[in-house]
Amino acid sequence: MMTPKNRSTQTMAHNMTLLSHHELDGFGGMGEGIAMQHADDGRRILWMAHESAPKNFTGVDVTDPKNPRVVVQTEMPHMKVRSNSLDVVGNLMVVANQTKDVNMKPAGFDVYDISTPEHPKLLSHFDCSGPYSRGVHAVWFVDGKTVHISSGAPDFQPHNPKDDQIYRIVDISNPSKPVETGRWWYPGTRVGDTAPQPPRLPAQFDTGFRAHNTNVFPQRPDRAYVGYIDGGAIVLDISNPADIKMVSHWNHSPPFNGFTHTVLPLFERGLWVVSDECVQDDGKDWPKLVWMVDARSDANPVPISTFPAPPYDAFAKRGGRFGAHNLHENLPLPVSFQSDTLIIGTFFNAGVRVYDTSNPYQVEEVAYFVPGTPRLAPAGAIQLNDVFVDDRRLVYTMDRFGGGLYILEMNI
Amino acid sequence: MKRDPLAGKIPVTLITGFLGSGKTTLISRLLRHPDMDRVAVVINEIGEIGIDNDLVKMSSENVSLLANGCLCCSVRTDLQETLRALFGERRAGQIPDFDRVMIETTGLADPAPVIQTLASDTMLGAHYRLDGVVTLVDAANGLMQLAENAEPEHQIALADRIFITKCDLASDGVVSDLTAAIRVINPRAEIRRCSMGDLHPNDLIGLGLSSARAGDDTLHFLGELKPSAENNKQGASYLGDRLPARHDPAVKTLSLRFDQPFTWASFSAAIELIISLRGKDMLRVKGIVNVDGNPVVVQGVGHVFHPPLSLDRWPSDDTGSRIVFITRNIEASTLRALFSAVELMQT
Repeated sequence: MMTPKNRSTQTMAHNMTLLSHHELDGFGGMGEGIAMQHADDGRRILWMAHESAPKNFTGVDVTDPKNPRVVVQTEMPHMKVRSNSLDVVGNLMVVANQTKDVNMKPAGFDVYDISTPEHPKLLSHFDCSGPYSRGVHAVWFVDGKTVHISSGAPDFQPHNPKDDQIYRIVDISNPSKPVETGRWWYPGTRVGDTAPQPPRLPAQFDTGFRAHNTNVFPQRPDRAYVGYIDGGAIVLDISNPADIKMVSHWNHSPPFNGFTHTVLPLFERGLWVVSDECVQDDGKDWPKLVWMVDARSDANPVPISTFPAPPYDAFAKRGGRFGAHNLHENLPLPVSFQSDTLIIGTFFNAGVRVYDTSNPYQVEEVAYFVPGTPRLAPAGAIQLNDVFVDDRRLVYTMDRFGGGLYILEMNI
Repeated sequence: MKRDPLAGKIPVTLITGFLGSGKTTLISRLLRHPDMDRVAVVINEIGEIGIDNDLVKMSSENVSLLANGCLCCSVRTDLQETLRALFGERRAGQIPDFDRVMIETTGLADPAPVIQTLASDTMLGAHYRLDGVVTLVDAANGLMQLAENAEPEHQIALADRIFITKCDLASDGVVSDLTAAIRVINPRAEIRRCSMGDLHPNDLIGLGLSSARAGDDTLHFLGELKPSAENNKQGASYLGDRLPARHDPAVKTLSLRFDQPFTWASFSAAIELIISLRGKDMLRVKGIVNVDGNPVVVQGVGHVFHPPLSLDRWPSDDTGSRIVFITRNIEASTLRALFSAVELMQT
């Protein structure tokens, strides 16, 4: 007879069709870096960073989305470092290196020439290692010359070890010689700051005052849109990288449970879409949401709605994490889907979901795809971690453990 | 890149039919048909259909999952509640996914309130769209039923596709007369003949607009392109178009054309005026309206209109407004006069 609760083995789909699924040769535990290369020979290569060692990154030929093929899969130098994040512009790829503990190497980012996708060629390594640094967690690279990172630095000593990732700007105009041009951190978090230390969230939700996604778009090259984890959503004036200033700050926590992940501006509409990240299993840090913020006033961003969340009863105990995480970030690149109204995000065990924000006060969920539990899934359910949508409107999403890559079509 | 406002909604087919037209037979065959996977069928009374227990894979209070993947749902408090619950349970994974809904209406029911529910309930309107109305008419008894009751006339007036059933039990002459009578009430719906229960699920779908992207489907929806199946058939429907009506029915179809563009204010004012004066005699309105040069599809049942749909472009070179009204005891000249009156008031 029909079970009253949903079963994690069950695939759930609304207006999305699975075109193909690839387990990435048994190493399908993926991080939060997906980017597409339109290679010189016409192929479309999808590059993905792994969640953890032993693999570093994988390139998959997705020219035919129904028949994806792995073209290259690379190794980490040891088991205590991971890539997690990457970005691609033309034939240049930037890949993060984050170590498990401070004072380890390699902690920074790598720059690769991927002209021949089968043979990525390392051009340089930007070193961020040090006594307080675990290296780079996330990279943002869309203009071909500047890398914006959330990272530690050898000379940055935080009061609290959880506050170890700051915002840094690195010029790679010469890809062989990366040079830091600017940095910013939450006032009061560095030893030596005159500002008081920020009050922490309750211990069970204290995930640190540190940068996560650090997005800069060509529409506003003088602004960085930063999810600063427990510090909330922050917009920085980076017109002078040597003197970065905060122009907007909005934080829902407390009373919410922290971990602001992404700040995605919808420039034409004066809005930000702000996503949280769920970081605890079984709904323990629920609710982790996606927020719509009216950002017409730099000085006073106002939340006007939250995206309709997947039903708690159906997912909270489905296994693993349940809640918001990555968004498709309208990458200003020809291979990327760009929309001011359709927003696509991953929600761990609640799959990938598509929202129509035409009415920002009443966002509608218009499509979703929740894969059934991948084989040998440690969480007992899918854990979709990141999503990228290409200019063909195809959706690429990947599992945090084991499930690999899912390629979907939106029927909207 | 914006969403197509129609494309993502779950299509709903309403199945209506006179008493004895074979609706129950059709539904019970559909429930067993191998191509009904991922279709939810809403029926009034499961007992009437008689589903064998060995066909039921899983069941809850109101929903049974059948061996072919079809979900059979009995109506709860009302249809509105049933459709809301179905969507909610689907989203929560409590029932398997379905991509389409078919609703059986009772033989005596006027389908208009059901269509109006879809148009006026915000939650339902966000997730479902009316694909269309399929009406079954009994070949042998249809003419008599039309003469004796009002509901059959409504069911024909609102139909997008009409099946004359049990054709094997009636003479060609009777079927031709019935076809002619149907044509007078609703000249635009496609008429097909069938014998007992030999309908394929595909015969019941693809009736309405499924996209705001204009094309042949839009013209078909507006009744300006005949479906090829009907073009190929020489017979009842061909003759039916030409035979004089046997009687002068109260229900008729009026086609109006306007070459001057409307503003949205003037068009909606005219429609509101018509509804306030003759709302209960308006059965159905369907058309494409030139609003400041742009194509907008309008649809209404009774006094309730679906939200207007802006197309991405004109589906053909014709940019005139073309509106079809199915009405009771209203003349085309009356409608024209009302439109003119509003135009005068607006200028």
